[in-house]
Amino acid sequence: MAGLELLSDQGYRVDGRRAGELRKIQARMGVFAQADGSAYIEQGNTKALAVVYGPHEIRGSRARALPDRALVNCQYSSATFSTGERKRRPHGDRKSCEMGLQLRQTFEAAILTQLHPRSQIDIYVQADGGTYAACVNAATLAVLDAGIPMRDFVCACSAGFVDGTALADLSHVEEAAGGPQLALALLPASGQIALLEMDARLHEDHLERVLEAAAQAARDVHTLLDRVVRQHVREASILLGD
Amino acid sequence: MGRSRAGSPRELQASCCRCEADIACFAATDGKLLSSDVTHYVIPDWKVVQDYLEILEFPELKGIIFMQTACQAVQHQRGRRQYNKLRNLLKDARHDCILFANEFQQCCYLPRERGESMEKWQTRSIYNAAVWYYHHCQDRMPIVMVTEDEEAIQQYGSETEGVFVITFKNYLDNFWPDLKAAHELCDSILQSRRERENESQESHGKEYPEHLPLEVLEAGIKSGRYIQGILNVNKHRAQIEAFVRLQGASSKDSDLVSDILIHGMKARNRSIHGDVVVVELLPKNEWKGRTVALCENDCDDKASGESPSEPMPTGRVVGILQKNWRDYVVTFPSKEEVQSQGKNAQKILVTPWDYRIPKIRISTQQAETLQDFRVVVRIDSWESTSVYPNGHFVRVLGRIGDLEGEIATILVENSISVIPFSEAQMCEMPVNTPESPWKVSPEEEQKRKDLRKSHLVFSIDPKGCEDVDDTLSVRTLNNGNLELGVHIADVTHFVAPNSYIDIEARTRATTYYLADRRYDMLPSVLSADLCSLLGGVDRYAVSIMWELDKASYEIKKVWYGRTIIRSAYKLFYEAAQELLDGNLSVVDDIPEFKDLDEKSRQAKLEELVWAIGKLTDIARHVRAKRDGCGALELEGVEVCVQLDDKKNIHDLIPKQPLEVHETVAECMILANHWVAKKIWESFPHQALLRQHPPPHQEFFSELRECAKAKGFFIDTRSNKTLADSLDNANDPHDPIVNRLLRSMATQAMSNALYFSTGSCAEEEFHHYGLALDKYTHFTSPIRRYSDIVVHRLLMAAISKDKKMEIKGNLFSNKDLEELCRHINNRNQAAQHSQKQSTELFQCMYFKDKDPATEERCISDGVIYSIRTNGVLLFIPRFGIKGAAYLKNKDGLVISCGPDSCSEWKPGSLQRFQNKITSTTTDGESVTFHLFDHVTVRISIQASRCHSDTIRLEIISNKPYKIPNTELIHQSSPLLKSELVKEVTKSVEEAQLAQEVKVNIIQEEYQEYRQTKGRSLYTLLEEIRDLALLDVSNNYGI
Repeated sequence: MAGLELLSDQGYRVDGRRAGELRKIQARMGVFAQADGSAYIEQGNTKALAVVYGPHEIRGSRARALPDRALVNCQYSSATFSTGERKRRPHGDRKSCEMGLQLRQTFEAAILTQLHPRSQIDIYVQADGGTYAACVNAATLAVLDAGIPMRDFVCACSAGFVDGTALADLSHVEEAAGGPQLALALLPASGQIALLEMDARLHEDHLERVLEAAAQAARDVHTLLDRVVRQHVREASILLGD
Repeated sequence: MGRSRAGSPRELQASCCRCEADIACFAATDGKLLSSDVTHYVIPDWKVVQDYLEILEFPELKGIIFMQTACQAVQHQRGRRQYNKLRNLLKDARHDCILFANEFQQCCYLPRERGESMEKWQTRSIYNAAVWYYHHCQDRMPIVMVTEDEEAIQQYGSETEGVFVITFKNYLDNFWPDLKAAHELCDSILQSRRERENESQESHGKEYPEHLPLEVLEAGIKSGRYIQGILNVNKHRAQIEAFVRLQGASSKDSDLVSDILIHGMKARNRSIHGDVVVVELLPKNEWKGRTVALCENDCDDKASGESPSEPMPTGRVVGILQKNWRDYVVTFPSKEEVQSQGKNAQKILVTPWDYRIPKIRISTQQAETLQDFRVVVRIDSWESTSVYPNGHFVRVLGRIGDLEGEIATILVENSISVIPFSEAQMCEMPVNTPESPWKVSPEEEQKRKDLRKSHLVFSIDPKGCEDVDDTLSVRTLNNGNLELGVHIADVTHFVAPNSYIDIEARTRATTYYLADRRYDMLPSVLSADLCSLLGGVDRYAVSIMWELDKASYEIKKVWYGRTIIRSAYKLFYEAAQELLDGNLSVVDDIPEFKDLDEKSRQAKLEELVWAIGKLTDIARHVRAKRDGCGALELEGVEVCVQLDDKKNIHDLIPKQPLEVHETVAECMILANHWVAKKIWESFPHQALLRQHPPPHQEFFSELRECAKAKGFFIDTRSNKTLADSLDNANDPHDPIVNRLLRSMATQAMSNALYFSTGSCAEEEFHHYGLALDKYTHFTSPIRRYSDIVVHRLLMAAISKDKKMEIKGNLFSNKDLEELCRHINNRNQAAQHSQKQSTELFQCMYFKDKDPATEERCISDGVIYSIRTNGVLLFIPRFGIKGAAYLKNKDGLVISCGPDSCSEWKPGSLQRFQNKITSTTTDGESVTFHLFDHVTVRISIQASRCHSDTIRLEIISNKPYKIPNTELIHQSSPLLKSELVKEVTKSVEEAQLAQEVKVNIIQEEYQEYRQTKGRSLYTLLEEIRDLALLDVSNNYGI
């Protein structure tokens, strides 16, 4: 048996992409009426749904309220059928918690929280075969949909490293192969990094290249999301015009 | 879609439109392009790629488009080995073939329909892509799709004009009727496939247990239940003993130190020498010991109940991870044997030349015609129902016993391919003919440092050496310091990375020296001319120059760079030594001095003598420093080949140890060391260095015991103590003792290896033998590819220092690692082939001599190891090592009468630590000690299927009395060369005799007359055979 060839000699990946190519991205904003903002995104086979409520008053214990800025509350959950093994993940398992925490960090960096002191913004993300990147992208759209002021789009993308080549936007097969994987959330206009996460070992010399691949992919995501937002606004304005 | 596809579209043909899909036609990295001057493109179906890949590998077949679908079918169904072969084929710039990623192309992709079989879908996809390709080339280039699927031919055959669908056989017949080799190969593949199909229908009893599935193996290795390693078959007991050398991580976890014994063919379970296998250990009570007795291959019945050594870990093979099958040289059984094999002689068992490979079953009708030839075969499969593997015939090498045939055998067995350089490769070479002589170009003159006027550069090499790749210089600087320079031929200037010649050189990796010939790594226009730093001509060089303190010779500064030099003298070792010794009479032998008048001659001579003297002085100094760290001097008789004007070998002389040798060697070691340091500093993760790992202490036990027998103590704790104690172990009466001890020490060492610095920790860079922390090979780029890589690295390091762009991309750590593995492997093959060819010549030398009468067959031998039924002997006169039995096949033992002549008598043997005693039933006894001198008779044991072997027989327990003592002392080292000379001469003479068709019947010719080409005798024999065939045919009708 031959092992899976993640990158062929001709430079193709398993699904026929080149190293720097993204999976197909499709997105829609405003999918739920009752939420303040919502968005749905598909990145290849990964599908994510994000819902935003707020800014509104702090719910639950008031002690959590921050005097100078808004509290960003993120929750992540995934469908039972969305991962390789079909397993029920109870609400608040470690993995979802971690993902929620990462999302929170990312969006605290992007949302102008100081505009809404003592209030709360809830972001609920649900993903099928979810990756961090898809969640961030979906949540960005949802936050935008809710009309919450942000510094910039937050665009996220993953990148991996195979045979000396950096691969952008890993698919499930590539992730499962067990190579190093890096997740990056970028504020594209300023080039600032909202979050960078990697838990595998990667030689320092290669980091630069992988980072660059992820950043480039994130910028590509930005152009796509931007298009989606403009499309949405155009549609909304036509509706309003009527 | 996110971004536009990477890479810019390139044109397929001049007429071809640019479009996105084009990119898919080309490999992203090397951009191979199909040539447009072929009559058609051929697209093999998946089945054809799987079964006939060997034929598609023929360089004559051009314009092959491999579809991605077909490649994936190979990957999934045929495994990694064949897939890698296909990958290499696609990567190889010499083959005119490309991969088309049809499944990633919008117009070519076809989804699999409901209920459609995988095979049908693959064929349909490939056909669809072929049609697309045809239209893509604007219907100008006919496409031939070859398939084995009859239905497909019917269905698609006439569907599209210009796209032809035919069978592979049909294709070869129509398009390549002259390519005989391909036809033969095709037939033999077809036949072996048919056989296989038949066989699988018949249900045999299983001969071997099935291999376990891969997941089970991998899980087993991880959990420590199974052990992974490389199978090594014992050459002398091929049927019974094999060992598995542990590999990688698995050895760390388990506490096994030794190899694992695999006893018998059943436990070996269809694995072949060199395979990576997975082994399960047997319970301890089934463990067996390895055999320590000497034995011959043919009689592997263990009649004599020898006592094996104590039990060692024993196991059985449960699966094969990687098959390392290669081409094997085999011999067909002779007529009598065929008959004994029975009448269903479509299948024939052939015997491989290599003892370690099992017999191979072949189906061919040509068995009778191929009887007297050495033949190449390939193994196809080994089913669990079959005792022997199945194979097919590939090509004929030459007649058995014929010198050329035997040499070809050695080359194939070592996987050395030495086809002459192709036209495309030669086109890249610069021209240097009398009409248009090669000149130094002005641009290069600008870029390089010019040493032609400022430095006295000279080379010291063996006599008649053609490829001079190193020169030396030394001079005094203005500040009184010395400047030592080593100048190496600038091969990389002529060999661009990834050019055809570079690829060829990389595949060869080294120049192969056989006993009587050599196969160059680079074409002779480079190796013997433009890159050879000959005397009196301008040449490009890469130089290292050190500034040394005038008194302490301490290195103050070092400079690396490209230069232009003109070597003033091309000296040979002996002359340089004479000059060093102050004997100026050799001047007449040096051609450079011939045309000078007396005065300038004197001045120049003085200059040269000073330079050589100074060099020696410096070298002594550097050497002393290295010795202080424990550098070893080991026995390793380097043989130099001398060629005469007609490029015939005219002598093969073991290097006489002169001081000049050491001087030159020391300068080269110094250069290598400094280059190693430099490239490592510049490229810490991708530099090519050479390491020599410290030896395992347990391997030294034999050496220590041997030395103890002579009363010496060898301290092997470090290289320093080893070097010192080896120097001390010197028997004044017998110089051979020291030589043997040193050669044993060498054998205990591991081999020095190339490696990439990124793959190893820095502590492991150490070179044990030379006692240096970093070492590489830099000084012989003409004959070693590793040096070419190092040259490129050094150049890149220099431009990095100058903050300049690094030209071309260097090998990444991973690529370099793979390259190192390849070079190491080729070096080993070069060593083996050299050894085997020397043995071949030794055998031919003794072959037609009658051992009883011929004087030279009797010689002096030294015992260097003792086994239970014999001793191992070293014959200093011929440099032969071999075994002599003290107990013959009939169970008789040796005994020596009062006149010390030996006889065979019934009796028994008794082995001690360092002696062996043979006692006959009448009470006589004779004892052989280690390092005893005995008289040996050398004879040849002829073998049809394998190489001939030398047999030694002790005929007296006293040292051999040399008839004239002068002969042995004077000419003993020369004899090896004489031997080669004599054999080549007699072969040549035999050829000559045949050419003029004179029937001289002389003793020497008798043997060669029959094996060489068309003598009258063989012709008559053939006619007789034909006549017999005719008659039988008629009879049949």
